[in-house]
Amino acid sequence: MEIAYTLERPVRLSLRLHIRGFTVLLGESGVGKTSLLKAVAGLLPARGEPFGGLPAERRPVGYLPQHFALFPHLRAWQNVAFPLVRWPRTQRRERALGYLAQMGIAELAERFPRELSGGQQQRVALARALAREPALLLLDEPTSALDMGTREEVFSGVLERLRALRIPTLAASHDPWLAQRADWIGVLTRGGLLQQGTPEEVFTRPASLEVARLVGFRNLFEASVGAVDGEWLWLDSPLGRLKALRPAWAQPGRRVWLGLRSEEVFTLEGEENRLRGRLLALRAQGVRWRGYLEVGGASLEFLLPRYRLEGLGLREGEEVEVRLEPRFLHLMPD
Amino acid sequence: MSDPVFWETLGLTLRVSLLSTLILLLMGVPLAWVLAHKRFWGKRVVESVVLLPLTLPPTVLGFYLLLLLGQNGPIAQVLGFSWAFRFEGLVVGSVLFSLPFALNGYREAFRGLEPDLIQTARTLGAGWLRVWLEVILPLTWPGILSGSILAFAHTLGEFGVVLMVGGSIPGKTQMVSIYIYDQVQALRFDRANQAAGVLLLISFALVYLVRSLEDRWKSRTPSSVR
Repeated sequence: MEIAYTLERPVRLSLRLHIRGFTVLLGESGVGKTSLLKAVAGLLPARGEPFGGLPAERRPVGYLPQHFALFPHLRAWQNVAFPLVRWPRTQRRERALGYLAQMGIAELAERFPRELSGGQQQRVALARALAREPALLLLDEPTSALDMGTREEVFSGVLERLRALRIPTLAASHDPWLAQRADWIGVLTRGGLLQQGTPEEVFTRPASLEVARLVGFRNLFEASVGAVDGEWLWLDSPLGRLKALRPAWAQPGRRVWLGLRSEEVFTLEGEENRLRGRLLALRAQGVRWRGYLEVGGASLEFLLPRYRLEGLGLREGEEVEVRLEPRFLHLMPD
Repeated sequence: MSDPVFWETLGLTLRVSLLSTLILLLMGVPLAWVLAHKRFWGKRVVESVVLLPLTLPPTVLGFYLLLLLGQNGPIAQVLGFSWAFRFEGLVVGSVLFSLPFALNGYREAFRGLEPDLIQTARTLGAGWLRVWLEVILPLTWPGILSGSILAFAHTLGEFGVVLMVGGSIPGKTQMVSIYIYDQVQALRFDRANQAAGVLLLISFALVYLVRSLEDRWKSRTPSSVR
């Protein structure tokens, strides 16, 4: 399935995005993610396909706003029964209970929304959206109204159930955790949709500097291509001369952006891309350590599990040698 | 109570108030919805006009209505009937006079309603009629009812407008507040006292009802869900 929509208000936005399984539209707040979902649901004036021109009540979509919008005067099962008007009254309750059971919360049927936790409200809202028999589910920031501590556990359960039901889903989110668990990602900025692909693709091979920042690249340097040799090339960078995998577009003399994930600074043994630097600072971050190396005037950030840090015996102020794996150096056009 | 005129007057006052309140309900609910949710050119002007009866001296409002509805007024000349000094005139004056009270109540009720609820209801396949009957009204009726009761109570005690438009004809256009004034002028304090007591009781009961409704309404507004 593919959606192609153009909006004028409240933001100017035009995009074409594949929906493959659980798809996340990743972007910072204010770029128009919510507006796009509303446009697809028919709640904002827009041109586009599918469902173009239909009023909201006739579009086969299940729309979940950020705070789920359960009807506060109705019990959980009555909320789920709301879209079931095509069924005889006597069957609605039973069907509603069926959808609640699909979301694993049949026992909450008699509760009012105010008696439910955030995660439970979300499941009721999903059951209600499923009762609409949607061709597409639209979720607005599905992890933001959940408690931080239990967010992953709570939403993983939801994700499994949605996958089992095989309903195409578009979730707007600024949460990289959620994006990593998607089947497909689109990256939206003010400039439009910058990239779409699998999480593996987008997180390891961002198409541009902006996408790289969004998906968590902390080491970004301007560099230029020195020499090329088959599938490899050599870069002149602030860190020194580095060997990297050659993208098809990279010609000698071309300015590029070099990106490297903090998790991939200390890598396997090998001879290439050895760098010496001084360890400027070490900061604990839960069970991992974030450190900063000064290499040739540039600062290189790294992230190590605490057992590796202890194994290496790193201390602030010391000279350290690191090796950057050529395959993990990612180049983007300037 | 010995004075049969008082009971006639009270009956008339209740009828005027009840009818005005019903008209306000039919007119004010859509108007309040539009004012709470839509943006349009000239909205401030409309808002100011409907609030005008709050600040305008009732005699001024009544005076203009008298000109409008009187024997030689534009309505009489174009449509050929005059509502001055009649029941209908009292109702028109009361509706305008109590409009701000009713509107404020309705608008507060609508403002407390999350737009997400209405939008989500539509994506669940509900047309506008279902959205109103099954989402908006169940969540806002206490606010709408309390606005209506306030408007009703306010109409019960009006004086200036009904005096100008109705002319205080006993048994025909005399309302209770004017009746009390007339009794005092005639130094019949016992009758004035009895009538005033009845109004006090009714007003207190109505305001008490509004307070209880407000509590109930607050406990149902969506913001308490989270």
